[in-house]
Amino acid sequence: MRSLMINHIQNARQSLRSNRLRSYLTMLGVTIGVASVTVILSLSGGASQVVSSQVDALGGNIAVIRPEAAQKNTVPNLTQITSQRDFSASTLTEHDLKLIKAIQHVDQAAPLMVLGGAIKGEKLAPANSTIVATTPELATISKLVVADGQFLSDDINQNTVVIGDQLSINVFGTDRSLGRALTIRGQPFTIVGILKRLNNPINYNAVDFDNSVIINYESGKQLGQITPQIQQIDVRSDSVNNLGQAIIDINKVLSTSHNGENDFTVLSGSQIAQPTSQLFFAMAGVTTAIAAISLLVGGIGIMNIMLVSVAERTREIGIRKALGANNQDIMSQFMIESMAIGLGGGITGYLVGYLISYGICSFLPFEPVITWQIAATAAFISVVMGTVFGIYPALRAAHKDPIESLREYS
Amino acid sequence: MRLSDSGRHIIIYIKTMPDTQTPVIELRSLKKRFGIGDAEHYALDGVDLRIERGEFVAVMGPSGCGKTTLLNIIGLLDRSTDGDYKLDGIEVSTISAHRQARIRSHQIGFIFQSFNLISRLNVIENVALPLTYKGITRTKRLIAASKILRTFHLEEREYYMPHQLSGGQTQRVAIARALVNEPSIILADEPTGNLDSRSSHVIMEELSDLHRRGNTIIMVTHNPRLTSYASRVITMLDGRIDSDTNTLIDEIKAPISEAAAPAHSPKKHKKTKGHHSKSRYRIHIGRRKK
Ligand SMILES: Nc1ncnc2c1ncn2[C@@H]1O[C@H](COP(=O)(O)OP(=O)(O)OP(=O)(O)O)[C@@H](O)[C@H]1O
Ligand SMILES: [Mg+2]
Repeated sequence: MRSLMINHIQNARQSLRSNRLRSYLTMLGVTIGVASVTVILSLSGGASQVVSSQVDALGGNIAVIRPEAAQKNTVPNLTQITSQRDFSASTLTEHDLKLIKAIQHVDQAAPLMVLGGAIKGEKLAPANSTIVATTPELATISKLVVADGQFLSDDINQNTVVIGDQLSINVFGTDRSLGRALTIRGQPFTIVGILKRLNNPINYNAVDFDNSVIINYESGKQLGQITPQIQQIDVRSDSVNNLGQAIIDINKVLSTSHNGENDFTVLSGSQIAQPTSQLFFAMAGVTTAIAAISLLVGGIGIMNIMLVSVAERTREIGIRKALGANNQDIMSQFMIESMAIGLGGGITGYLVGYLISYGICSFLPFEPVITWQIAATAAFISVVMGTVFGIYPALRAAHKDPIESLREYS
Repeated sequence: MRLSDSGRHIIIYIKTMPDTQTPVIELRSLKKRFGIGDAEHYALDGVDLRIERGEFVAVMGPSGCGKTTLLNIIGLLDRSTDGDYKLDGIEVSTISAHRQARIRSHQIGFIFQSFNLISRLNVIENVALPLTYKGITRTKRLIAASKILRTFHLEEREYYMPHQLSGGQTQRVAIARALVNEPSIILADEPTGNLDSRSSHVIMEELSDLHRRGNTIIMVTHNPRLTSYASRVITMLDGRIDSDTNTLIDEIKAPISEAAAPAHSPKKHKKTKGHHSKSRYRIHIGRRKK
């Protein structure tokens, strides 16, 4: 019955055309939903591409250890934008760090402790600035380069700080702030180094170093005033080939030290390449919410318009049945119509989504990705929307009694 | 009782003919009730009717006597409340909805009293519509529709919308649509109600032609003159069959006399006098003798 199918499609097109405005308005819900999904996927794809290219650039011998709690916290959460992430209880300890450093193929390891609190130079730093407490190894592992001065080192004063380029400009009005004084959480610090601009807010450390101050791990512990919370340990193996062995050993050692408790994860390569930036999560959170709401509203819109359409065409249904249409024929006529609305909205949504993505990316250091998976997802969502929300109206149409329908006036 | 006797009589007769072993339509004490309680009303109140393949039956009767209701049930659009309906020897209530749709699509052509064109489709699309459900491709559908529209002199109206047609044109479109899928049973509810006598005759000639080719036609009409095209005339009254020319023939078993026509139907009186009536009975008798 291919010709019947073609006929249904022609018919649906004709019927949608005769109610052009109504059809477009109905599609709008799906359009917004699919656009949001496309934005999320293309941007997150772009972001992870950036991160994975960074990981590649780092030489392929980097692994990252995260407490499991931190993993769960990577769920987009709008409340986390302003309050810096305070992981309630990290399962990683200084003892773990010592154990990791002792492993054969581990060349270097650096803990990462992100703290919240005020940074004050001449001016107060903006809220998106980050305080990172770490050890000097981080510079080698993450290839941080100072433009001026030096990086942290164990043999100079505890209260020294390395400042990100942009943050320096934000609090002092200049990136030449070497030697100047700064208070972090009320404690005085001296700037010993200024980082070279990275322009890289999205990275596997989840820290925008351009907007951060980096202090010694010990200072961070004092500032924190509680048991130190290590959010991440960056590990570098002595060679690319030994990374696998190093990861196995880390897992073994940590497992023993945590009494078999599996409360940490060791990630390497593309696994690290999951976007963790707060900026990204804020965006993803908002767009996911928009996507969910507009898909729901869009779906209800489809159902509503299809019910109206069925009611309007009751008499037509009666005539068609009288002329030999069976229930499935009527059913598919309306299903195809609702699927066409879904698909039409989906295609527009996909295109609009990319427009928005490229718009957003003109402010970001990466490009949205275009993959067939995203196109397939958009198509899938729109067809499912059309089907799920069109099925009830179509069933109602199909089960109308022919003679009752013919009596209807319209 | 006499009615069913005569029915059997005909059956025996017709069984000698290869094509018509079972009647196409066989109704037994068919009832259709509308409403419940105080509003209860029987639009059909015990209809017994047997129609053989190839008959051209004209159904007459006053407005509201149940003619449309009867056609709807015969055309599988409506269900009876009570009684039996055998179509081609098969009890209709045992046929699935899907199968019924197929029968409507392949065997039945319905001309509605109220035309029932689809207002958002143009003339040719309306006419081509029944072919859609037979799975015929669009081009072939349009060719077939165009061809049949030509027979009804509507070739210049193919792309008109239904609301741009006159009443008579609308009616002809509706007829063209009913005939386009070459149904073997044609149910026509006042097919010439809006037409002048010339146009009526075009339609009637077309129906006669279909009849000659062996199709079964049941036509409701208020115009006694048109019954001359029919091989059999049934009059209904208050949901029952009031008179049936087949019964008359059995009663008289001879060329009909005027006295046999029902006394309470003056129209009918007049008609039997007309010259058409003779030919009607001739045809009929001729068939029986075959
Ligand atoms: N849906 C319905 N609900 C209630 N009563 C109905 C319904 N349809 C038909 N009737 C009643 O059934 C009776 C027969 O109606 P029907 O339409 O069969 O008449 P008809 O013989 O075709 O009349 P006409 O010659 O005017 O077309 C009428 O009294 C009508 O009021
Ligand atoms: Mg009627």
